[in-house]
Amino acid sequence: MSEDFNENKTIQAQSSETISGGETGVAPDIDYVRPAELSDQDLYHGHTFITKWVFCQDAKVIGVQYFLLATFTGIIGLILSWLMRLQLGFPGAAGFMTAEHYYQFVTMHGMIMVVYFLTALFLGGFGNYLIPLMTGARDMVFPYVNMVSFWMFFVAVGVLLASFFVPGGPTGSGWTLYPPQAILEGTPGSGMGIILMCVSLILFVAGFTMGGLNYLITILQARTRGMTLMRMPLTVWGIFTATVLAMLAFPALLVSALMMTLDKVLATSFFMPTILKAGEVLEYGGGTPILFQHLFWFFGHPEVYIVALPAFGIVSDLISVHSRKNIFGYRMMVWAIVVIGALSFFVWAHHMYVSGMHPWFGFFFATTTLIIAVPTAMKVYNWILTLWRGNIRMNTVMLWCLGFIVTFVNGGITGIFLGNVTVDVPLSDTYFVVAHFHMVMGIAPLMVIMGAVYHWFPLVAGRMLSEKLGKWHFWITFLGAYSIYFPMHYLGFIGVPRRYFEMYDSPYITSAVGMNEFISTAAFIVGAAQFILIYNIVVSLKMGKPAGKNPWQANSLEWLTPSVPPEHGNWGDKLPVVYRWPYDFSVPGAKEDFIPQTTPPSEVVETEVEKT
Amino acid sequence: MSSDPKIEGYKFKPGYSGMAADTASDQTMFKGVHWGKAMMWIFLLSDTFIFSCFLISYMKGRASTPVEWPNPSEVFALNAFGVPVPLLLIAIMTFVLITSSGTMALAVKYGYERNRKMCGWLIIATALGGLTFVGMQVFEWSKLIHEGVRPWENPFGAAQFGSFFFMITGFHGTHVSIGVIFLFIYAYKTFAGHYDEGKRGWFTTMKGDYVEIEILGLYWHFVDLVWVFIFAFFYLW
Amino acid sequence: MHVGFIFLAVIVGSILFHIFTPWYWTDIASNWGAMDDTITLTFWVGGGVFVAVCLFMVYCVFKFSYKEGRKAEYKPEDKKLEKILTWATTLGVAALLAPGLIVWNQYINVPKNAISIDVMAWQWGWQYRLPGEDGKLGSTKVENINDNNPFGIILEDTNGRDDVLIQSDVLHLKNNRPVKILLRSVDVLHNWYVPQFRAKMDAVPGTITYYWFEPNKIGEYEVLCAEYCGVGHYAMRGRVFVKSDEDYKNWINEQETFSDLIARQKIIEFSETKLAKK
Repeated sequence: MSEDFNENKTIQAQSSETISGGETGVAPDIDYVRPAELSDQDLYHGHTFITKWVFCQDAKVIGVQYFLLATFTGIIGLILSWLMRLQLGFPGAAGFMTAEHYYQFVTMHGMIMVVYFLTALFLGGFGNYLIPLMTGARDMVFPYVNMVSFWMFFVAVGVLLASFFVPGGPTGSGWTLYPPQAILEGTPGSGMGIILMCVSLILFVAGFTMGGLNYLITILQARTRGMTLMRMPLTVWGIFTATVLAMLAFPALLVSALMMTLDKVLATSFFMPTILKAGEVLEYGGGTPILFQHLFWFFGHPEVYIVALPAFGIVSDLISVHSRKNIFGYRMMVWAIVVIGALSFFVWAHHMYVSGMHPWFGFFFATTTLIIAVPTAMKVYNWILTLWRGNIRMNTVMLWCLGFIVTFVNGGITGIFLGNVTVDVPLSDTYFVVAHFHMVMGIAPLMVIMGAVYHWFPLVAGRMLSEKLGKWHFWITFLGAYSIYFPMHYLGFIGVPRRYFEMYDSPYITSAVGMNEFISTAAFIVGAAQFILIYNIVVSLKMGKPAGKNPWQANSLEWLTPSVPPEHGNWGDKLPVVYRWPYDFSVPGAKEDFIPQTTPPSEVVETEVEKT
Repeated sequence: MSSDPKIEGYKFKPGYSGMAADTASDQTMFKGVHWGKAMMWIFLLSDTFIFSCFLISYMKGRASTPVEWPNPSEVFALNAFGVPVPLLLIAIMTFVLITSSGTMALAVKYGYERNRKMCGWLIIATALGGLTFVGMQVFEWSKLIHEGVRPWENPFGAAQFGSFFFMITGFHGTHVSIGVIFLFIYAYKTFAGHYDEGKRGWFTTMKGDYVEIEILGLYWHFVDLVWVFIFAFFYLW
Repeated sequence: MHVGFIFLAVIVGSILFHIFTPWYWTDIASNWGAMDDTITLTFWVGGGVFVAVCLFMVYCVFKFSYKEGRKAEYKPEDKKLEKILTWATTLGVAALLAPGLIVWNQYINVPKNAISIDVMAWQWGWQYRLPGEDGKLGSTKVENINDNNPFGIILEDTNGRDDVLIQSDVLHLKNNRPVKILLRSVDVLHNWYVPQFRAKMDAVPGTITYYWFEPNKIGEYEVLCAEYCGVGHYAMRGRVFVKSDEDYKNWINEQETFSDLIARQKIIEFSETKLAKK
């Protein structure tokens, strides 16, 4: 890997040489930037309420739409988790709760949170809002397709929620939707529920593909002058890599959902072996359930990084801005994101160590999985080394970042447990797994989302969020969530299996009752604390302190638009020109402790700034 | 945004490190490549993964079914003058589809030469090729259904044969059909001169340009290429 | 300042929780102590990294909190430091991986003297089949399962005749004798899991999966289904008794073999036809 970095260094040197126009022999102008390759983008400007706010082609509005709809879906997921925790902590307290309901809530909570909340929020929400602004584009390259992408997502959510109202209710087969049980009697929602789930996923994938193509082409082909790849903020790198993963991983989900729908509707036997139910052999036969698991996890593992990589990117930017220090080892960070993304396609079967696949796969997948730990650890080191010798503002945004580091490192370490094939055997399918993935891809990305909301709200709304409410929100959420998931690992050590509606009186599990009550209580409080944020947003929209331009003294382009909040087209008459990376904080010799990306070298000649 | 890239002031650099520097340079990664064309390439990459998932599932399903897989040269045989000829229909279908790829390539060429008429007629020819292909596929499906092959059962052997055959050829047939619809739309737009005068599209603010025909051509060639794989996996294995 | 103290409290609290927790793994009752050892190893290495990273973060919070007029350091990268960290991490990860792979190799290679046990799962219950004196299990087929042949044994297979059938969810095992658990399911995915034995594997319909362990502690244990299998998943329990050689022999001699079952059914059938004739 170290060779890569050396080679990269030479690339850097050469590209900066071109920018200064060195080869022509003309006296080098230090502010020289190559002229634009492309003519300015034509945009459709909406005039009516419908074209401006509903069927809108402005990526910023689409981003906010994605954000709101994902949040709405997420709140449904949150309520479902409350109901589950009610049953687990206080069995029988919710009188209506049957095992069927419980499993339906588990399933819908999982699917909503992973796909319809986190993925949609990071890529659809932050992606749409930030990509054009951060790369200096007018808008996404295909605004119309982008709009359709959101409305496909809207329909997908509608179909998903409709499954609550069909006979039999939503599917209760666990978010992994494993056949054969997903489509057989004996699992809740094995009729219309699972069909609607598959249809909704197919719609989501179709909609996402439209959005994803936009994000990729905008980043690859529509950056502004001077915006080289190695000058892009890490947020853009994270979202970019995550989108590449999504474009290549979602096909497996689409195919598995389609095949399962056919198994259900047409009684094909892709995943269905000979099955004996209630004394009768069903019409299925000859299929293989493990195939579904391979397809699902070929999607499912990259999906983890689809959520995690944008979070990595965003948190790097937040930490850098609020420590007033450049991100430590930017190139390493970029390569780590790319390497993690690439490796994530070779680790999927670590979810299947005890699935009955050929045991030799265990050696391969354990090795690849633990290799991923290396670039991930490098990112963690670089975050804390960014804090080191910084000038850290202890505001709400930074608190969320610190909370992210603690929860992410915790969840990452337990990932090493589960990735290492032998260690996984006793722990798989227990609460250790539940605790692990909630910590690492539930709480940690959520911390980043919250930090990002507090960071970029002033840009979107033009007003600041209340710091006081924000701090309450943070401490309740962080301490509460940590005390939910940290002790939960120990339930897994005991051997408490996941997806148990009730433990009854298992001899060695009675001691867990008290812990379950505690966890549930904490979960109620943490869930309720999220409404502080909603209150904060609603109040601050009208009464928050006006943000003005660039309230955080950041360097990246999104803060440098002519008007705040940015208008459609982002940049007014002239596109910005970029001269440096977005991390020139506290440069020796500079008057201020930040140099925006658009500041030309001639204005800061006296500084000792690194060439990028 | 035309096929003639405005990349003046940019000199491509030599060697591998130069290539990397060009890739990482500002504004665009693929110099002079139209947005739509780049998008189509990435979409096709994603679509490749879909078809790969289908075909790998097919291989896995075929390898693990306990019932014997039917012999393709018997199942797909066609009676010509009283003699069963294996793979006759499929050979014709493949020939037609590959030929339509040729006419598509010519359409792109004439498009860039701004030869509106030739370009339009060649697109029509491509679309007709596609239609013929879909028509023959309908014929083959009806023949198999007539003989009792269903997605859920198959008188010649493993039920998964019918499942995978109908699903994968159906998915591919849908791709061809969508392509045919777009070919007709593009033929209309060509004859109407939208690409000559740069008329904006219905759903986009971008100006019309003959590069759009090349983009559709990429899709069409891809669909043909996928067919070659399906052909190999279903009919020759 | 309080921020640093709260984060410090969280880390110290985590360590104290680990030391004083009453919730920890059950006493092991099989040969897989090596699994516990790998967990412990991972725990100390991983936990050490967690504490170190978090303490460093807390240190930064205390030391480098915002002060008006102070300037942060400007140092985009430190090649040497990054190299050291990469190699150290790689070494640590390799040290964790190697024992894991070694134990996995033991886990998938069954010792020769292991007794094969057919564990048959359905929604929602278990039953077991042990080989008779020939030490071999007869082959089975899902389609053959009916009231007269609850395990779906193929009648032509003579290995199946002396198989011991246990049509209940209670299994007895001989202490200190390795067993190879052969898992099959007639409907959906299941997983035969006894926490004290540590080992587990899914039962997948349409195929037979396996794992092995050697029980080494006499006692009674609860079997849990560890792969979600529908509404009754949480109630899909069973029991295992690990017994001394003598107790085990007494128990197994009382069990019915497949030929016993056939004979018994013939008698029933015979009397039924006789009744019908009368």
